[in-house]
Amino acid sequence: MAWFSHIQIFGEFRRCQLHGTIINDATLAQQILWVLNNIAPPDGDSNQRLTCGFLRAIIARAAKSGTCKLLTAMANVHTNLAMNNHKFSIIELASFVDLTPWHRFGYTAANAAILEAVEGYSVVHIVDLSSTHCVQIPTLIDAIATRFEAVPLVKLTVAGHTEDFPPMLDLSYEELGSKLVNFSRSRNVVMEFSVIPSSASNGFSSLIEQLRMQHLIHGENGEALVINSHMMLHYIPDETLPVVQNTSSPQISVETCSSNSFLRSMFLEALRSLDPTIVILVDEDADFTSNNLVHRLRSAYNYLWIPFDTLDTFLPRGSKQRQWYEADICWKIENVIAHEGPQRVERLEPKSKCAQRMRNASFRGISFSEEAITEVKSMLDEHAAGWGLKREEEDVVLTWKGHNVVFATAWLPI
Amino acid sequence: MNDSTASGDSSSGNQTVPTKSTAKKKRNLPGMPDPEAEVIALSPKTLLATNRFVCEICNKGFQRDQNLQLHRRGHNLPWKLRQRSTKEVKKRVYVCPEPGCIHHSPTRALGDLTGIKKHFCRKHGEKKWKCEKCSKNYAVQSDWKAHSKICGSREYKCDCGTLFLRRDSFITHRAFCDALSGECAKNNTALAPPSTDEDPKIQSVMPSPPPPAVAATSPAPSPPPPPPPQASPSAPPSTAMVSSVLPLQNLELPESSSHNPTATRIFEETSMVSNSPANCSSNSLSSINGSIGSNVLASLFASSTSSRSLQPQEPRFPNLFETMAHSKQTSDITLCTSSEPISLCLEMNQGSSIFKTAGQECRQYTTPLQPAMSATALLQKAAQVGVAASNASVLKGLGLVSSLSPSSEPQRWGRQEIESEGASLASGLGLGLGLGLACDGGSALTELMLGTPSVFGPKHATLDLLGLGMAASGGPTGGLSAIMQSINDGLDVAAAAAAFGGGEYSGKDMGRSS
Repeated sequence: MAWFSHIQIFGEFRRCQLHGTIINDATLAQQILWVLNNIAPPDGDSNQRLTCGFLRAIIARAAKSGTCKLLTAMANVHTNLAMNNHKFSIIELASFVDLTPWHRFGYTAANAAILEAVEGYSVVHIVDLSSTHCVQIPTLIDAIATRFEAVPLVKLTVAGHTEDFPPMLDLSYEELGSKLVNFSRSRNVVMEFSVIPSSASNGFSSLIEQLRMQHLIHGENGEALVINSHMMLHYIPDETLPVVQNTSSPQISVETCSSNSFLRSMFLEALRSLDPTIVILVDEDADFTSNNLVHRLRSAYNYLWIPFDTLDTFLPRGSKQRQWYEADICWKIENVIAHEGPQRVERLEPKSKCAQRMRNASFRGISFSEEAITEVKSMLDEHAAGWGLKREEEDVVLTWKGHNVVFATAWLPI
Repeated sequence: MNDSTASGDSSSGNQTVPTKSTAKKKRNLPGMPDPEAEVIALSPKTLLATNRFVCEICNKGFQRDQNLQLHRRGHNLPWKLRQRSTKEVKKRVYVCPEPGCIHHSPTRALGDLTGIKKHFCRKHGEKKWKCEKCSKNYAVQSDWKAHSKICGSREYKCDCGTLFLRRDSFITHRAFCDALSGECAKNNTALAPPSTDEDPKIQSVMPSPPPPAVAATSPAPSPPPPPPPQASPSAPPSTAMVSSVLPLQNLELPESSSHNPTATRIFEETSMVSNSPANCSSNSLSSINGSIGSNVLASLFASSTSSRSLQPQEPRFPNLFETMAHSKQTSDITLCTSSEPISLCLEMNQGSSIFKTAGQECRQYTTPLQPAMSATALLQKAAQVGVAASNASVLKGLGLVSSLSPSSEPQRWGRQEIESEGASLASGLGLGLGLGLACDGGSALTELMLGTPSVFGPKHATLDLLGLGMAASGGPTGGLSAIMQSINDGLDVAAAAAAFGGGEYSGKDMGRSS
């Protein structure tokens, strides 16, 4: 695919650089950049824009090495212009997440499972760890209000995470929370909203602490604890995973693994210690954890073409929403490719690995009900053709043209 | 699902004996093109054909294999011929014949014949099916049917005037919509006070006096839906509110079925995909048949460089394209000649052009050729044309002083050398991308990529551009070589592809490792 030609050109460029002469040969560098711009203009078709995103990430990465001033200069120019990711108002975000079933798939499956699990409890405590900032909650509240005869008190806790990764909000969690409380009230559900500043980079340790304290105090007073993790687990640092290496290339270990290792698993174990009523784990089904850049590049390219493609079918190219969406994806691309160490936060693991972690933390997977599946399916029907659903044992996976996109899993403590 | 009438330009008239297995096949898990699967590229004609299953006896066509089999029974065939062959049919995956399409690559192959047909139809076919109620057009009849079922069937209207077709999106919007807080404030005193055991972190807060309903700030052209009674239009909206209003305009649908300018605007936007010339140009140009040699491209550039201005060169292009293209969409191409042609523009601030956004001179490049060809030819051309001296001065101005110690072979990578290396690189690229250019690029590529040990020099610990950490021993085991090797592996397979655009070829699965 055309993608690899860029690697080659870049490789060629780099080999020239090794001999020191190319640095002074600005013209060739320019020519190469000109060629690259023609191959992957930022305003070309989807494939080109995707490739452009990758190229920019590679250049950004190369510039960081600092050995090529030309590239550094170029990258500096580009960082002034690029990565101005849109900050969404909550209304914008609400309509944004419904462009495709990417998020709504997880919401629908999760809410169905949550409802089943918490029926009968007088207090439902939802811990919403979501990259989409509580957009899942209104439909959950609505369902609680509609389907439960005895409406429970709902407590909603969020980690006001300090990282900024897309989609980014332009309002504070406090403001967001007040809207949610209002909405709940309008449905005759009393909601208590709390924000606990906590960060994925340390495994949400402050949040866990807070929850532990509450667990000690309130104990088992008929309170259902729901942990809803939506595209969030992969931001918690994982161990440096052993990777299948080419024997010829050495393993690169840039990040300090001592403080970050096991955080992801520790977090899950901590959740288990809270004895939750149900844990929902929704995330993207891809593997961005390889320390080998080429493997990671490949994984990323073989996955991130999908979000570009899903929008290609129905949003016109000039659409603002599409630009926002693609900018957010380019943010991820750059994070995966150009960053190392704790800065590289996009560490997606495939479903099998996540599931294994959950099992290791003493959870067992449960199936989604037929009702839930039906609901998800009918939701998918209302979107573009090409979206599909498949069931893998207890789990459900969203597919686009047959490729795995997002998985949704539900877990109970063993 | 497995169909044997696949290969090359098979049309519905082909007479091939169906070889279908009667054994019940386990349905492949979607998502992973089986690495052992056979990759098939059907011709557009085949993909668009509706009656693909043809009776060999009377030539009658059917849409489905079952129907064909039913029909065949009526011919009273002798028992042997009636039986289906029990030969196991190899698993097939299908690629889109459209060059430049994302599903053109074997790694993006779809495992389903119906899927690839639908994809082709949707993406590259004419949208013949039109919804009566809205302006959406569909190429595939089943898509159109599915849409018509729900179009306008259920509508949820928020107090702010936005309409939703789905309840979940309606609820989600409504929760955050400021129109809601207006309603809430009204019911403020009626509700029970919040629980008393709050700690400072918990908030169950009532909002401040309501901002006006969104409808009040609608722009003049669209007839604003009647604002909800509780909204007070007099309160000035905050900036944040206004900014949240604007995107909604795109979503607003007319309340009544009567025609209004807003509706037209929205529908134009949604149907832009099929109508916009910009879209047209990228599609049509990308459909240029890949068998065009790089020579033609070089001549294209030669003709355009004679006038290095940024003016469009309309008279030349139709002819050029006519000679170049075997594509069936010639009309589309000529239609799009009015869009910016490719012209060389090696101006002063070329360096930053890759990162410029719309409106800059790089608009010239918005109608690129097939990327594969560009890489090949453009690199050659770029080297040939040369760059104005002013460029060099710009980059010197950026402080480009090599901090690297001179290599022991300073001459090796002189300009001329690079050009010729570039040429072999380019041809290697061409081959790797299945262009079928006549060269022995395969071996040249290998040689180039692996390089000779001297290329990497004795010391390269410093120059880890991609953070790959070259091994101290250097040579072909270096990190860069490893990349090239692995890429080369993938490319060798693609290089085995003889033809381009149509015709069967096997491609190893190049990238789906997990």
